[in-house]
Amino acid sequence: MNQPKRRSSCGSDEHTIHRRLFLQGTMAASTASVASFNGLFSVPLLAEETKRHGKKCILLWLCGAPSQFETWDPKPGTATGGPFSAIPTNLPGVHISSLMPKCATIMDKLAVIRSMSTKPSEHFQGIDALTRGDMPRPPFTRPILGSVIAEQLGQLDSPVPQFVLLDPCPEGNEFKAFKAGNWAGWLGAQYGPVRAGGDYGIPNIKQLDSISQADHSDRESLRKFFSKKYENDRRSAAAASHNAAFERVKGLMSCAPLFDMESLPQSDRERYGGGAFAQHALQARHLIENGSTFVMVANGMPWDNHVFQHEMHQMLVPELDNVLYQLISDLEQRGMLDDTLVIAMGEFGRTPWLNDARGRDHYPKAWSLAMAGGGIKGGVVHGATDAEGFEVTDGKVDNRNLFATIFTALGIDPHEDYDLPGLPTFFRVEEDAHPIKEVLV
Amino acid sequence: MRNLIFAIALMGLSVGLQAADPTKQINAEISSKWETSKVSPAEPCSDQTFVRRIYLDLAGRVPTAEEAKAFLAIEDSNRRQQLVDRLLQSEDYAQHFADLFDAILMGRKDEHVYDQRVRHGWRSYLETVFRENRPWDEVTREILLARPEDPNKDGSVWFLYERKDNYQAIAEAVAPAFFGMRIECAQCHDHMMATEIEQAHYWGLVAFFNRGKNSQTDNGPRISESAIGGFSDFANLEGSSSPNLLTFFDSRTISEARPEAGSKQEDSDTLYVSADVNGDPREPLFSRRAKFVNQVLDGHPMVPRAMVNRIWAILMGRGIVHPHDEIDSMHDPSHPRLLDWLADDFATHQFDIRRLVRSIVLSDAYQLSSIKSSESVSPDVFAWYIERPLTAEQLARSIQLVMRGGFDNNADVVKALRQQILDVLPDAIEITVADALYFSNNEKLNAFIEQSTSPNHLVWQAAQLAQPNQQAELLIKTIYGRPAEASEIDAIVDYLNQRSDRRQLGISQVAWSLLTSAEFRFNH
Repeated sequence: MNQPKRRSSCGSDEHTIHRRLFLQGTMAASTASVASFNGLFSVPLLAEETKRHGKKCILLWLCGAPSQFETWDPKPGTATGGPFSAIPTNLPGVHISSLMPKCATIMDKLAVIRSMSTKPSEHFQGIDALTRGDMPRPPFTRPILGSVIAEQLGQLDSPVPQFVLLDPCPEGNEFKAFKAGNWAGWLGAQYGPVRAGGDYGIPNIKQLDSISQADHSDRESLRKFFSKKYENDRRSAAAASHNAAFERVKGLMSCAPLFDMESLPQSDRERYGGGAFAQHALQARHLIENGSTFVMVANGMPWDNHVFQHEMHQMLVPELDNVLYQLISDLEQRGMLDDTLVIAMGEFGRTPWLNDARGRDHYPKAWSLAMAGGGIKGGVVHGATDAEGFEVTDGKVDNRNLFATIFTALGIDPHEDYDLPGLPTFFRVEEDAHPIKEVLV
Repeated sequence: MRNLIFAIALMGLSVGLQAADPTKQINAEISSKWETSKVSPAEPCSDQTFVRRIYLDLAGRVPTAEEAKAFLAIEDSNRRQQLVDRLLQSEDYAQHFADLFDAILMGRKDEHVYDQRVRHGWRSYLETVFRENRPWDEVTREILLARPEDPNKDGSVWFLYERKDNYQAIAEAVAPAFFGMRIECAQCHDHMMATEIEQAHYWGLVAFFNRGKNSQTDNGPRISESAIGGFSDFANLEGSSSPNLLTFFDSRTISEARPEAGSKQEDSDTLYVSADVNGDPREPLFSRRAKFVNQVLDGHPMVPRAMVNRIWAILMGRGIVHPHDEIDSMHDPSHPRLLDWLADDFATHQFDIRRLVRSIVLSDAYQLSSIKSSESVSPDVFAWYIERPLTAEQLARSIQLVMRGGFDNNADVVKALRQQILDVLPDAIEITVADALYFSNNEKLNAFIEQSTSPNHLVWQAAQLAQPNQQAELLIKTIYGRPAEASEIDAIVDYLNQRSDRRQLGISQVAWSLLTSAEFRFNH
């Protein structure tokens, strides 16, 4: 039986020798930071109640954008339906693609939205809108979903990173470009993700043998004193990002075992299946169990199938089917599903028509996604498209409605504003967009 | 105060409209935008800040204490200009710009590939380009024609050679490197946002290079070129297919006889001439590569724009078009007239890189403090010096310099940092946790600092001083190149007093804390 490592393994002794001095130095310097970029935004304190609930979120980021026809909104036997059939599910009358037999058995736990309708039709803009919730309003950068959730629900004093991006693939055109951008936006770099990937591990995470625990900790305190002084004296956003990265080091080092896939039972690893996406989904579960608040699982942009879409989806969809099934079943079995929201989506859908390379192109007008757990009602299929999937015919949902839903499910006020003196007000979700009541618990 | 700033801005503008001096032109255009966007620029930077900044930007390292002192002692109002002129002639400049362009044109790869670049002359070729201030259009031609006329230029072959006959990789590298455009999107369809970038451009660029083949000759690596073949079609997403003709963005299509469908071309010696250089591969009479260089590249409007925008980005922290290699209709220039003017000036002055660099670093905007006057201003008005992290090589040289008094471009610490810090011209500044872990726990970097204890190394020198406060002053002065503040001395003294049993190790650790702080990590 799986015995996950307890969070206590991540704690480490606090070194007090110079604590007073450095605390003084840091605090004295902090007074100068009132006018800092981040300080300009008055972000309301998070509600204690939400904190007690300890809600968490796993985003399976299906970058490149999956086809709704081959997943949640099949149109078998129509001109647009493609070659795969639809199968019944454990929800009477609801069918999904035959490529997803496992999810068909847990549809009572899933909320599927078949009426997504968004604007951006290119990856970069689509990724931006569907991970941040809205279009850019330069020069201010809206924080990404994980940063907002880490800031609202996370515990910054926890050594376990609150926002983890599991991203094994450094390449992948537009996603690569997107990743190079600013994730935490106006919340500040401390809410950016800890990134792990490749071999599932994190290089340089182990403390050197040549240096004692006390020396390691104290020289870091001295470093922090100098670096914070620079950041505060100059109101430097660059230095803030630098310092935020160092803030993570100690916690991460104490959490090294959490990132060690070898520590997970072989049977779990086999159940999820080989490949980075599946293994990272398992790692996401492990991280959430051990104190992370938001884990985003990404894997380049394999879903962008302009060419041979059916062949590619024939590999990708069953993997997604299994991963979702294992993840949701595991969370439920551990009593964690009620508090953990799982979202599986990409940045838009795919065209009803096929191109001549047997691919489907970008289609934001009518597409699907799925959610489960954490404040979301299972067994709901929201919205519908027409017979051939060209248009949304019922319950249209855009990125704002979606984000309002996600925030509401997690107990975060979707309409909270960010006040910036002299500039227009920003809202967590703009224009009072309403959440989808039908899918909320 | 505001009126004064506007008055200055207007003066700058009126001068600029007639100016032929590029620095004056930059000042006029930049201040004009400050005026229209009602932005107050930051204060001018101090000489102490300037000397560190200009060494980092032109010499790729911090100045030594002696170099900084010598500069600050000069009592000539022209001293910044004099220093710029001296640095532009230095070997450090050639090395630093070779580092930058190696990473920008080729990307960071593992050390094995880096060694190959050195062994086959690519690295020394780049150094020569900047040392001799070779005209950029000539350099571009040499790299893309890849037929070196003399052994000093052998390395120019490596740009194509390292891409191993992968013609799409070549096209995707040529476009941003020399035209400032990213065209990957256009592989499957016309660029969906920047519609002027067509699928035909992508495949046209591929076609110009797809008769090349990597060859190992007695003269070293060369790219031979066939006189036949390389005819293919590309299909768009609607399924209609088109021949990939020899064409590229903003240039006319080169005519070429295409064989009848199904007919087989015969290769023949009569289709070739022998190379000018003995032992090099023969050249086809109709050389696609030569056509590209002579008819597309020559006089192409994007070539000077791309280089100007990139050099601007290197020196100013972001391009006039940002990102610097996406000059297309999706990315408007912040200062369109200035980009036009500088590109024109660059082309009419023989693609003189040194002149371009000099004009930018002597501008008022370059010499502003990095402390913003206001928070809510977009960086694209260049109203302050945009902080940027040191590149791997800048950092490695600077660490060696302050810790040991000298540096070695081939030191292990350079190689290790080159593998850790990959970007030299990032679109956005984000220091990753991976970097912080590296600085905290990397064995090689820590060993370098701990082992910097020979006589005349900083740690040893500090250990010779009797008082911890003297030690603190020396460490800060050497590493940050400025006098220590009282609170900083107190912090270090307190720390060292706790380590009176292991004083030298304590000093190393203070050095670590200074080297890994933001003040050292950034050019500001």
